[in-house]
Amino acid sequence: MYKNIFKYDDMKRSEHMAVRTAVGWYFWTHQILEIKGPDVTAFLDYMFPNDISSLAVGRDRYTTMLNEEGEIIDDVVVMRMEENRYWVSTLFATKTDDWWYFHQGDYDVEWGEITDEWEMYAVQGPKSRELVEGLAKESLADLKFFAHRDAKIDGIPCMINRGGFSGEKWGYEIYVHPEDCDALEALLKPSAEKLGGRQVTEFQVMAWTLPTEANFYYMRDLAHTNPFEAGLEKNIQWDKDFIGKEALLKIKEEGPRREFVGFEVPEADVYIRAKQYGGPGEPVYIDGEEEEVGRVSKMVYSYVKEVNNGYILAKKDTLHIGDRIKIHGYDAVVTEKKWL
Amino acid sequence: MSKKIDERIPQSSGDGAYFKAYNGIQSPWNRIYSYQDALHYASRFESVLSAAATQALRIIVPDYKERAQMMCEEAIERLYMTGKYYGDDDGFGIHPFMCGQYAGALIGDKGDDALLMCGRCQDFGTYRAEKELDVCDWDICGSELCRTTTMSLQGQAKASAERRRKGPDIDYMMVEAKGCGDRHCRIIAESREKYPAPPHELWESFGPAVTDDMKKVTAEEDCVSESMMFREECNYRFANGTNNETDSSNQMINMSTGASLYILPAIAETVKRGYVTREHADHILKCVLEAAGKAMFGERYAIKACRDWLGVPDSIGEDGRIMGGLIEMLLQSLVCAYEVEAFNKDEVIYVIDRSGLEITATKDMPETHLWMWGGMVKTLVNAQWSLWEEDSPAGKMRIKIAKRIDKFM
Repeated sequence: MYKNIFKYDDMKRSEHMAVRTAVGWYFWTHQILEIKGPDVTAFLDYMFPNDISSLAVGRDRYTTMLNEEGEIIDDVVVMRMEENRYWVSTLFATKTDDWWYFHQGDYDVEWGEITDEWEMYAVQGPKSRELVEGLAKESLADLKFFAHRDAKIDGIPCMINRGGFSGEKWGYEIYVHPEDCDALEALLKPSAEKLGGRQVTEFQVMAWTLPTEANFYYMRDLAHTNPFEAGLEKNIQWDKDFIGKEALLKIKEEGPRREFVGFEVPEADVYIRAKQYGGPGEPVYIDGEEEEVGRVSKMVYSYVKEVNNGYILAKKDTLHIGDRIKIHGYDAVVTEKKWL
Repeated sequence: MSKKIDERIPQSSGDGAYFKAYNGIQSPWNRIYSYQDALHYASRFESVLSAAATQALRIIVPDYKERAQMMCEEAIERLYMTGKYYGDDDGFGIHPFMCGQYAGALIGDKGDDALLMCGRCQDFGTYRAEKELDVCDWDICGSELCRTTTMSLQGQAKASAERRRKGPDIDYMMVEAKGCGDRHCRIIAESREKYPAPPHELWESFGPAVTDDMKKVTAEEDCVSESMMFREECNYRFANGTNNETDSSNQMINMSTGASLYILPAIAETVKRGYVTREHADHILKCVLEAAGKAMFGERYAIKACRDWLGVPDSIGEDGRIMGGLIEMLLQSLVCAYEVEAFNKDEVIYVIDRSGLEITATKDMPETHLWMWGGMVKTLVNAQWSLWEEDSPAGKMRIKIAKRIDKFM
């Protein structure tokens, strides 16, 4: 008997469902690299496969970052602050900093990490707009998804960015200076409670259970995969040069060798090792067969669907929706990658 | 005595056997072992030395509770200070939004793999973490060491948490320990805010866990014997859940041993607290380590195995070169620089870089090796032979292996 660490945990459940049904807020600071200079747009276009040059000032864009083999080495949000100044939000600033340094060449750019200057709070859920508008005392109706603007909350200077990692249509990220964190939290807490929401404190909820229901990946899922395997190839801009392009074109031509598929395990109390904790992940077998067809990248719990859910990184075209599979002796079924 | 060097040994022998140039170790008779084997060898040897040092500590402080509490107090404070001044959160994959002490588990997780203590993380969240080990070379040192290592996590976690936004305090406990005979080592870390339990003293960091029903016990057939950095299924990389990745260059065998990190500092603490003088503590350590060294080759089969492992030709009989060859293997495995001053049937002399043996910057680590080797030579070769330090230059330990008569030996 392996007691499910999600299903019976009332705290995790209430934090997760607050985001789904009302509003949840949480401390969600990422590392920020600020990069600027005359060649900054061209440089970022070379660093990232997705289009940077078309990004308007005040808007954001998600993109992967690849190595020469076309493997994903980071996934980031690029925020255009001014014509020639960007923020890049990452969780691997040290590695990205090194990567850029070795590929800077003649590009006239300079960058630095400004993580210590900004903290970030995520406010996510159907009532998040109401909460943030109430605090900022201004309408956010015209703030599009992946757009940001400066604002003030009770006199606290901040930047409000519409976006998030929860899969909610309505979600915001509030950037404040570290000295203003206490004051902002003092405002967020009662405001959220008034709307039936609460603070999300559990790492597993903010980083695993919420994003997985929405088919979002944590970098551990993506490591050593390429955008075709992860289904992230849609927004690649092929008519520019970028690191990994040559390898990626070859993959495009030959087709990816692997793919992510969703899965569910109906039995609640199981022991299945997943890569989210580190290590190689549990091998996956088609029911009745002996050949390993993939590994479990992630297994969490969908509080919306009330089932163990996650991703398998499988050999391409070996698993199809509805297939019965065995994982560590447990019955599982292949599903779509979305549980909302 | 001559300073002649036999044909086998140009002065440069060993060059290229260091990890920098060649990922393996090489005996004086050209028996080569892989980097992986070298790490395993050094890990277990240092563990045996640590187990012997623990016996010295047990003599100095006989009461288990008193000893364990003192060790825990000393370790938590020292590791907290180490974490405070030298902590590298980004290097452990601790993300900026991680609040509180749970992220300290990432430090232990990475260290385990680098110390060949392979296993798996079973849970990692803000209020609970669980790590299960299948292998621990330190499992012969004594259960008080198991208790103490848990405090290193506690100290590091506290230091890391102070650099970030306030979050839950976490109680790190080793609820199962291979040093106690359990199949696994199992650390369960719990927030007392979420999982209340009565307070306990530091030495009682053995549980039981409130969340005992949530633990995941790996069956024998699913256990592993190698770290991720040496496993094909892991692509020879350690990776944790925050995608902190390292390869085998991240080994910690020559950076952290039971003796260097916990036992010798605990003995120093007994001196500080007035249990013994420094001289008396060293006397006890020397006695115990010499005896442990003698016990290593008390049986003839152990000598045969050692000769075979080193590739000693039959033409070489009982002389100091066998002991010397064994020492060279350890020094190479620990990436400790040394020079061969003499290597022949009458005498063997090495000039060893002390800093290479001062593991975790523990200054008396070279002496512990000297004392243990001094015992080993008596049974690996024979009682006519001794090993001692003589005419050491600054920063070096010059050891000589030769026949010697000493009426007070």
